[in-house]
Amino acid sequence: MYRQGDVLIVPVPKEAAPASDHGLTRRPRDPRGRLVLALGEVTGHAHAVVGPGELLREPGPFATAWLHLPEGGRVVHEEHAAIPLPKGWYRVVRQREYLPGAVRVVSD
Amino acid sequence: MTQLGARPLAPRPPGEVIGHWRQVAVQTGPADRATAEQAVRAAYRAAGLAEPAAVVWLDSPLQGALAALLLTGCAERLRDCLPWARVEPQLARVAARLAEHAAAADPGVGVREAVRTRPWERARTRTHGRLGALGWAELWSLTGGELWPSSQALAGRIRGAVAEELHGAGELGAGAEPELRERTAAAVGVIQLALLEAVLGQHDAPWLAAFDAAEELDAGLEPLAELARSVGWWWPYERVVLLTERPTELHRDEAGRLDRADGPALAYPDGFALHAWHGMPVPADFLATLGGLTPERIRAEENAELRRVMLEHYGYERYLADSAAEPLHRDETGTLWRIQLPDDEPVVMVEVLNSTPEPDGTSRTYWLRVPPQTRTAREGVAWTFGLPADQYHPRRET
Repeated sequence: MYRQGDVLIVPVPKEAAPASDHGLTRRPRDPRGRLVLALGEVTGHAHAVVGPGELLREPGPFATAWLHLPEGGRVVHEEHAAIPLPKGWYRVVRQREYLPGAVRVVSD
Repeated sequence: MTQLGARPLAPRPPGEVIGHWRQVAVQTGPADRATAEQAVRAAYRAAGLAEPAAVVWLDSPLQGALAALLLTGCAERLRDCLPWARVEPQLARVAARLAEHAAAADPGVGVREAVRTRPWERARTRTHGRLGALGWAELWSLTGGELWPSSQALAGRIRGAVAEELHGAGELGAGAEPELRERTAAAVGVIQLALLEAVLGQHDAPWLAAFDAAEELDAGLEPLAELARSVGWWWPYERVVLLTERPTELHRDEAGRLDRADGPALAYPDGFALHAWHGMPVPADFLATLGGLTPERIRAEENAELRRVMLEHYGYERYLADSAAEPLHRDETGTLWRIQLPDDEPVVMVEVLNSTPEPDGTSRTYWLRVPPQTRTAREGVAWTFGLPADQYHPRRET
């Protein structure tokens, strides 16, 4: 697994990837042609994947996303070093923080 | 798997559309009055209504709500509430603004349904018919759904703050007279109705993003889109339309929540403002006290939420150093700390090193609060990603 700031990218076997009838949506690429795993609302800084592949997820800050990189790729961010990712399937998890009676999403 | 999302969603790529509406939703600064007035007349015409006889400009959603209460003859209810003394001068200012327009004496009924809701419904029905239920759900999830959580939360905060400013129900102590409670409850009802008559302008961005991606704006929604781009909230009545200014200040954190330590996180030209720390509402005068914080002052705070804000603002690191705290546990993932607080659950945190060094060569540490029963640093960090400690082993971290 790989951690870039507040995002964890966990390799999963192909069999663990979601089946097509799970109601997930394929996320569109941003205007720069990247798959955005997480976006900072103020700075616009993004954990984003460059290269061929697809990203599937539900909306919402805690929603798990699934990343498929048939040829491998690189995850980049304006404030973190890039991480090369081998080809395969990944589960993408946003970091959370504990609050008494709740949790809140981390914003780094 | 390859079938998923393969069907054409909508004529325009959502990725392009969403950036525009994300920007609209957080736009600050003076309204574009000329564009807005033209657009609002077009919106009335598109709804089959006569253009409004008067366009009244106001400075905030608070003033908008006051004007709506005046136009619907419900403002008298405010007189019965606790904050009346501070509301009265504001109400007088708004009444004077309305009095400049003869039509305000006979504004007619609210026309939000005709001007906003019906065209909305038509666009939604058309898009639904074209894309099917699944296609609509997918389009929404890619566009409106992306903007919805933060826009919705912000509009809800504004609505709540306007209402509280006017009726003061939150200020009523346990010992408040039953009669005052009853009068307040009656005012709560009319204030809520006045707020429901508002069209949210820029805060309707999620809907407009979805309609834009579906290329539905040209089919009668463009005036509403233009209003969203040029004003704050607005209230349409038959003969009068109330248009309000956008915020002068909007400060948010990276998660999109209202957030500012040294002033209002949201403010309007008339001074109506909200104060918040990472989304948590705080009293306006509370922020001013943060400069002179001491560990003793933090420990003495009885409100647990405010104490948490104080701790974060003071800095966990500094607080721990001041109190000569010893770490609970340390491993290669970070350091686990605990702060005991009187009459509250302990604050347990992991201190994590940011693996990418700063430009000056130092490494920034950051602190994440974890559940109080956490025993090791690895367990804490793993929890922040929803994993058990034995499954958290990053091969590479940056």
